[in-house]
Amino acid sequence: MTRIVTYLFLLIVVLNTTAQVNVTGIVIDKENNEPVTGASVIVKGADGKIKKFTTSKIDGDFTMSLPSITDCRLEVSMMSFAKKIIPLDSVSFPITIYLEPGTTLLKEVTVKADRIREQGDTITYNVGTFAQQQDRSIGDVLKRMPGISVESSGKIQYQGEDINKFYIEGSDLLGGKYGIATNGINHEDVGAVEVMENHQPMQVLAGISFSDKAAINLKLKNKSKATWTFHGDAGGGYSWLPDGAIWDGELFAMAVMPKFQNITTLKTNNIGEDLSSQATDFFASRRGTDLSRYVGVSLPGVPNLNRKRTLFNRSALVSTNSLWKFGRGEFKTQIDYSFNRVTADVANITTYFLNEGDRVITENQNGVDRSHSLSGKFIYELNQKTAFINNTLKTNIDWDDVRLGVTGSLPNDQTASLPDYYVANDFKLIKRFNGKHLVTFKSVNEWESLPQTLSVTMNDRFMHQNVKDHAFKTDESAAYAFSLNGITISLEGGIKGYLRSLDTKLPEIPEEIPGTTTNVMNTNYFTVYVTPKFEYWLNRVNFTLNAPLSFANYTFDKALANRSEIYFSPSLNMNWKPNNRLSMSVSGGTGRSPMDLSLIQPGYVMTNYRSFRSGVDDFYNSTSQRVSARISYKHTRQGLFANAFVMQSWRHNPYTLAQQLYGNYVVYSYTSAKSNGQTLIANGNIGKTLDFMQGSANINGSYSRTESHLISENSSVNSIGTSWTAGLKINGYPIRWVSFDYRFAFSSNRLAMNSINASWLGRVENELLINIIPHKKWEWHISGEHYRNEITTDQFKNVFLLDTKLIYKLTKRLELSALLNNIFNQRTYNYTTYNQLTSFESQRWLRGREMLISISLRK
Amino acid sequence: MKKFLTSFIICFVAITTLAQNRAEIIVSYESSFPTKHGKIQTLKMSLLASSTEAKYFNDISLWVDSLKSTPEGKAKYTEIIRKTCMTVEPDGSVSFDMRKGPTKNTHSFVFTNLAEDNLTHYNKFGEELGYYKEPLAEMQWNIIEDSTANIVGYDCVMAETDYHGRHWKAWFTPEIPVPFGPWKLHGLPGLILKAEANGNFLFVATGLESTDRIMTPMYMQDEYSKVNRKDALKNAEYFNNNQESILRAQGQNVTVLAVDDDGNRIEMPKYDGLLHNIEPDYKMK
Repeated sequence: MTRIVTYLFLLIVVLNTTAQVNVTGIVIDKENNEPVTGASVIVKGADGKIKKFTTSKIDGDFTMSLPSITDCRLEVSMMSFAKKIIPLDSVSFPITIYLEPGTTLLKEVTVKADRIREQGDTITYNVGTFAQQQDRSIGDVLKRMPGISVESSGKIQYQGEDINKFYIEGSDLLGGKYGIATNGINHEDVGAVEVMENHQPMQVLAGISFSDKAAINLKLKNKSKATWTFHGDAGGGYSWLPDGAIWDGELFAMAVMPKFQNITTLKTNNIGEDLSSQATDFFASRRGTDLSRYVGVSLPGVPNLNRKRTLFNRSALVSTNSLWKFGRGEFKTQIDYSFNRVTADVANITTYFLNEGDRVITENQNGVDRSHSLSGKFIYELNQKTAFINNTLKTNIDWDDVRLGVTGSLPNDQTASLPDYYVANDFKLIKRFNGKHLVTFKSVNEWESLPQTLSVTMNDRFMHQNVKDHAFKTDESAAYAFSLNGITISLEGGIKGYLRSLDTKLPEIPEEIPGTTTNVMNTNYFTVYVTPKFEYWLNRVNFTLNAPLSFANYTFDKALANRSEIYFSPSLNMNWKPNNRLSMSVSGGTGRSPMDLSLIQPGYVMTNYRSFRSGVDDFYNSTSQRVSARISYKHTRQGLFANAFVMQSWRHNPYTLAQQLYGNYVVYSYTSAKSNGQTLIANGNIGKTLDFMQGSANINGSYSRTESHLISENSSVNSIGTSWTAGLKINGYPIRWVSFDYRFAFSSNRLAMNSINASWLGRVENELLINIIPHKKWEWHISGEHYRNEITTDQFKNVFLLDTKLIYKLTKRLELSALLNNIFNQRTYNYTTYNQLTSFESQRWLRGREMLISISLRK
Repeated sequence: MKKFLTSFIICFVAITTLAQNRAEIIVSYESSFPTKHGKIQTLKMSLLASSTEAKYFNDISLWVDSLKSTPEGKAKYTEIIRKTCMTVEPDGSVSFDMRKGPTKNTHSFVFTNLAEDNLTHYNKFGEELGYYKEPLAEMQWNIIEDSTANIVGYDCVMAETDYHGRHWKAWFTPEIPVPFGPWKLHGLPGLILKAEANGNFLFVATGLESTDRIMTPMYMQDEYSKVNRKDALKNAEYFNNNQESILRAQGQNVTVLAVDDDGNRIEMPKYDGLLHNIEPDYKMK
């Protein structure tokens, strides 16, 4: 009996094995047609239970054998892909399964691990340990972190180089306008600042293209995530100069959510803070339309003083920035509007000591500049390991109206209307194949119109300059890159088209000045270019060779003869990083380039009431060379950061700027004489943390020398401008309830013409801020600024300004403050210079004493 | 030549993919096991996983290794230990209590790689740092569909296997399609959120989040030498039971003490792999 059962059993087993079905196939990523490793492949029965499972192997294939697949289904799933369910009844094997991108929604449960992270390319600064009581924005705290420097506009440098991305919780909401965040985000919302060195923002380029730039990521505290945070200030008060009411208000709202981010800010003041710079795009590249204003009327300023002391303004700014994430892409909008009204007054008195009695000439200038600026940016971005897509549509409209009145020897009134209309669309696509092949396609289309009018009324005479300047540029390019054994070779090729028309009219011109006063020019070109680039990694050395070559055809609509040109300007860069502390780079380049086309302008244009400018009447090329070196060192544990940079460049132009006086008028033109110029720039910076007082110190220095050539009054002038600066910054908490911030800056410059040296003129600036916290609810700031400006040799102008501010923190969310600026009510910045025959007295205004009471609220 | 070039390219691609691999998910586990002192010790462990590879580690151990891998980090670590563990007595003498500072509680790191079809386990075996590789096929599961559980909000299915001397029950969730789990456990059609053997070897997930953390390779790999797993475990047991004499034989004047909860000196308990080791197969015939 048992024997029969055994036989029967064996038979069943044999039958079973013969009836086995082999379920085989391959899993493919539909996006890039590449096999997928690690996908979970499950055969489920009619009851939904797992019958067999496996994972796809390195070439995407899988194989399973089952006794039967009747009513079964195949489920293929993988993180970041949509699950695929295939009924197996009418399927032949091997089967090919295409996975499409999708999100695997996780029900997240907070990970309970020790919050210590490994060390790597990211340096994390704990915001709490650097923040001081008087700090408001994250920018105030960033300034204290060694290796990081922040300009007042909010622009950030790490180790002396501009950062290339600014992230909030890993998302790039603001692009280059991150100044809004540095100046706006409250540091109490930020838990940590991460500095990512050698940051390559495009994932698709990771491991292929080297970036020597760093990026910053703000990690918010949990309480500030997934909710709206607000803070606002409203202040009002009285000012002694300008006599009247003053205000300062700000509203900042931020939402950082997994699928949505928004930062909206509203600011207005008339206390000397220029807001237009706060929405500046730090990553903006030069506009390809290449237009620049001919008319140059600007308000007089006060040299060498903090701008806040001398700016008489009414300003407002609205900026709203949003980011939506969907799927793997994100959509961003950035809309800004700013208004700025600035007034200025200057009085100059020149006294001529003459035998027949002194002669006094006064000149007063007063002006108003009203500017509006509206800009919008709409961005779609997809940033993946295999593909990068970015389309940016941007538009910028500026209106700038200037009125400047001058009384005195040449009494006149100038009004200029200087609007600017600009629209551009940038498209970029990068695709990576098989891990090492890259294809890029770029399309940039820009249009700009820069009309300018200038009206001058002078001595019952009226002059009116009218300029119409339009340009359209298109740049279509494709690039291919592949990487093999550490060498990345990329080839970019494309076409550029440029159409520009210039039309200027100046019906009346002072009769002293000879020449034509109209320009009707078309400066167009069509260029075909290729840019091969080689990048090579050897141990810790990176070599990059760029060799752009282009063929250009210039047409001038019969005004000039058409030209065809070939340009080649190779450059080489070497970067060596022997260890994580030290990094060095050397680079150099040489080349030939076309002239600035806006210089082709044979007729005169009036740039302001006393100067006229004409350009060249032919097309020229110029050549240039440059070499530069950079070194940086960091020792994170010791808090030591240092960097140095030196650059020398040479430029050779076949034309020379000439300056000629005709009576009271200055005329600038170009002659076809050769001119050579050169520039040397060197700077260095050392920063160190001072642990004993929770502070840091920073020393910096720079030197520059520029040599240029021009023709003045028909004689050749070689001019050399030399300047150097030295500075020190130190801050800390010497005792628990007192902190200080001290800054010292010295600069000196000299101009030499034809080897005749003018004397060095120096300038010293001291700034000290002391912050006292007698009680946790009270805060008292005292700050002083001292300037010592050398006006002529050994003649100094000293200015001392003292401010104070008292803050009372009513609750964690409500704060009251009283501010008294310029306590001594210094209203003028006057100086007089003498020589044997004349004295020159200049009178400029400072913002007088001002008192402001503010209330700050935050959520 | 062509073959050579192809393998070269594959090698290069493998290196580049390896160098930039980011995890997609991070899971925290509590890992419990019996000690020779008759207690249950619990460690916080983490698993970083993408679809093709996983790294299982303790965060403090990873941090210590990442610091020690550079000279400046090493100095920083020494300073941290000095600050947290060192006590200067009034008489000037110095004592260290390593339990106070961020020191390694475990040396175990497991890297599982589907493309290479193996896993690598780094650990300290007795006094020696060592590693071994193991083919993934060594672990084969049977799914017991009828047994389900809900762990950290995920519906899990149970599976069983016999592995290196213990019978394991694991609960995995098909909702998260990665074939990894705590320690060396892997090979199920979903993330393993809980596993137990003999009732007192236990792994339980306590949290999980999506992440883009880079899965850095093992730090200081050069300091680990290749070992045979069973031999290494035998050596470790010997070391554990003869620690004092082994250290003294090397010329170190050390006394290894065991104390009970009240601080009284007791006899050193014996380590027995059959009871205390997660892989007791080295003691089985």
